[in-house]
Amino acid sequence: MAFDVGTPINTAFLLFILYSVQKIVFPSSSPPKEIPNEFRSGYSWLPKSHQPTVLFKTYTPKTLEPFHGRDNGRILLAINGIVFDVTAGRSFYGPNGMYGNFAGRDASRGMAKQSFDVEMLIPVDQPLDKLIDLQPDEIDNMKGWVEHFSNKYIICGKLVENDAV
Amino acid sequence: MAPSISDLLVTDDLTILLGLIAGTVFLLRTFYRPQPLVHPILLGRQSEVTKVRNPGESAVYRNYGTGLMNRFPLRPHKDVQVLSDLVRSDMETSRTLWNTKITNATLQDRVASFGTGLLRMAQLQSQESNVLLLLNDCIEFLIADLALSSHSIPSMTLAAPHLLSPVLDTHPPSAIITHAEFLPTLLELIYDAGEEGRHHTIVVVGEPSSRVMASVASKVKILLWTDVEREGFKVPKIMSPLPKPSDVFSVSFFADANGHVQGTQITHINLTAGVAGIHALFPVSALLSSLDTVVSSHSLGGTYGRAVAYAAIFEGTSFATTESSKLFHLDEGTVKQDVTDVLSAQLYSIPSATILFLKPAHLDALVDGILRDAKKSFLLNAFAWRHKIAGVSEGFVSKDTLWDRLVYDAARANVIGEGAGTVRTIVVGEGLLPANLLTPARVALSCPIINTLTHPAVVGPVFALHALDLQDFSTLEEDPVNSLAPVGPPTVSIEAKLLGVNDSAVENGADPSGTLVVRGPPVTKQLSGEELETPSGYVNVPTGESTSSGNSDDEDGWTALGVKIRVLTNGAFRVVV
Repeated sequence: MAFDVGTPINTAFLLFILYSVQKIVFPSSSPPKEIPNEFRSGYSWLPKSHQPTVLFKTYTPKTLEPFHGRDNGRILLAINGIVFDVTAGRSFYGPNGMYGNFAGRDASRGMAKQSFDVEMLIPVDQPLDKLIDLQPDEIDNMKGWVEHFSNKYIICGKLVENDAV
Repeated sequence: MAPSISDLLVTDDLTILLGLIAGTVFLLRTFYRPQPLVHPILLGRQSEVTKVRNPGESAVYRNYGTGLMNRFPLRPHKDVQVLSDLVRSDMETSRTLWNTKITNATLQDRVASFGTGLLRMAQLQSQESNVLLLLNDCIEFLIADLALSSHSIPSMTLAAPHLLSPVLDTHPPSAIITHAEFLPTLLELIYDAGEEGRHHTIVVVGEPSSRVMASVASKVKILLWTDVEREGFKVPKIMSPLPKPSDVFSVSFFADANGHVQGTQITHINLTAGVAGIHALFPVSALLSSLDTVVSSHSLGGTYGRAVAYAAIFEGTSFATTESSKLFHLDEGTVKQDVTDVLSAQLYSIPSATILFLKPAHLDALVDGILRDAKKSFLLNAFAWRHKIAGVSEGFVSKDTLWDRLVYDAARANVIGEGAGTVRTIVVGEGLLPANLLTPARVALSCPIINTLTHPAVVGPVFALHALDLQDFSTLEEDPVNSLAPVGPPTVSIEAKLLGVNDSAVENGADPSGTLVVRGPPVTKQLSGEELETPSGYVNVPTGESTSSGNSDDEDGWTALGVKIRVLTNGAFRVVV
């Protein structure tokens, strides 16, 4: 034995006491090497990333169509020129949902006439549905749906004609 | 021979003793750790962010306490509708404003007397006239402001003395209130302007010398403040209809970054929202109360100084201002912003200051003085500094620790005087605080230091750190010398957005960085370009991209503040230099 404090247990205790006293009397005052990303790792911490935000984009029927959700991506649909991000409602608007026809398309006519049939949709390479032949109460119905969607989902863009961009 | 197990586990009396000591030391270390003043998890999300952002802009940020759905607080209390409601009738204790010990009831009486006297003697018309307040911060400023607002006569104030001639030329007031010492200079300016046909009415605080009185031209009417108050006291008070909260009660003129003269119209709502903003700076455990004494270095001619003063009035605290807040001096020298300046407020008969509203230069001087004094006891200071820094890095600071008693209390007393023990919060505004000053300031003063961002177009602070936030990222900055301290999230009644943001960088996760625009009840409406003519007669047309020009309102009511700022991931903002 190099030194003898009587017994190994005493040595262990003594070392522990010396270590703790050293930590109390000389607290570490050097800042951490990098900013921690967890509040448990340090007081001056920063979250790793910002809150996610969606960029407001201008869509055409052709650029809107890929967001049909069949590939597990985002699901968008448009009503009255406003594009909504309905990824949160995948069960309704996803490929197997009740209203899956609307994903990636302009759903204005369908919302106005309260119908989910494919006839309500216009092919993507044609000009936008002008909705001229709709009754006033159907227009009101559509506006009510716009209101509902604004409260429930995120407005993330507007829909314009194919050649307007 | 190899030691056996029983040899290794031999115990004796020393073991028990050491065991007890080890146990005590372990418990000491575990439970005696300083607890953070605010839990760090709350500091990870200081702003509420909208989900959508426009191209080239950032999302809209609001204070986390306000949230995206709630309305902005417009007033500190539901009964405060207009300016005169800030002088609460239900508060009966007296407090000292500069050198005057006064109760709210007496203050309201003086305001009513002065208002009546002024209307009668200066022939002012409600809603037609306007009055220029050329006063240094004093109780007469507040009395005049309150009196004029109750009779719907807008007051005009200046944030800097050199704006006097442009303002006199472009917005001639119906009456001017000024100090006796400043009267000769003012008369000179009026005579030089050469508008002989115009009548001028000047109300003078103090006693002008007979020589000055003799030099007064016949077109200028001089009234003494004391005469006006006495006149109003004798006669029945004139009651004007109550102003609406959206009425403009004051116009504050300031010089923007380009040196152009800008005017901004303060309504009652702007001011009550600003007072609510100042009220929200303080944590619930340490609110402003009538036991406090507020010292401010921000002049009442500017919007921020006005918000601080009226917040002090509303809460019933004693109030005084420092020497550097005086705008109108006889001599040309400017007052240096240092410790003597901070102490100059104590020369009034107010109780010892508890809350200081200072500029960064003041804080720098204070901290420098205190730390230098503390270094005199070299060895103790080395320990004290180390322990204090360790505490701050755990989120804890207090005036009652051992190291304060040994080192820092004495240092503070040497620098600030006996009043050092009462200072409980310092709010830094009207300037940019360097990042490497924040932690030394917290150690030296051992109290919450709240860094804010202010602007002459906003009543009250625009951004403010959480009061108990002690986080410090300065050691990991790329440029530690030049970087600025974070200013925190928007205050409770402000929403903020950044323009000119690099979309691709932000989509990849970088911090949004751009120019700041804000919206909310404390944001005042600036006088548009057509209403502001320069003395040469040309209309001051705001130049296109310049965000600090007067006509910077966007279509949705966003006001550009001309500040380049960056958002951190926890929702706090930091000015980019």
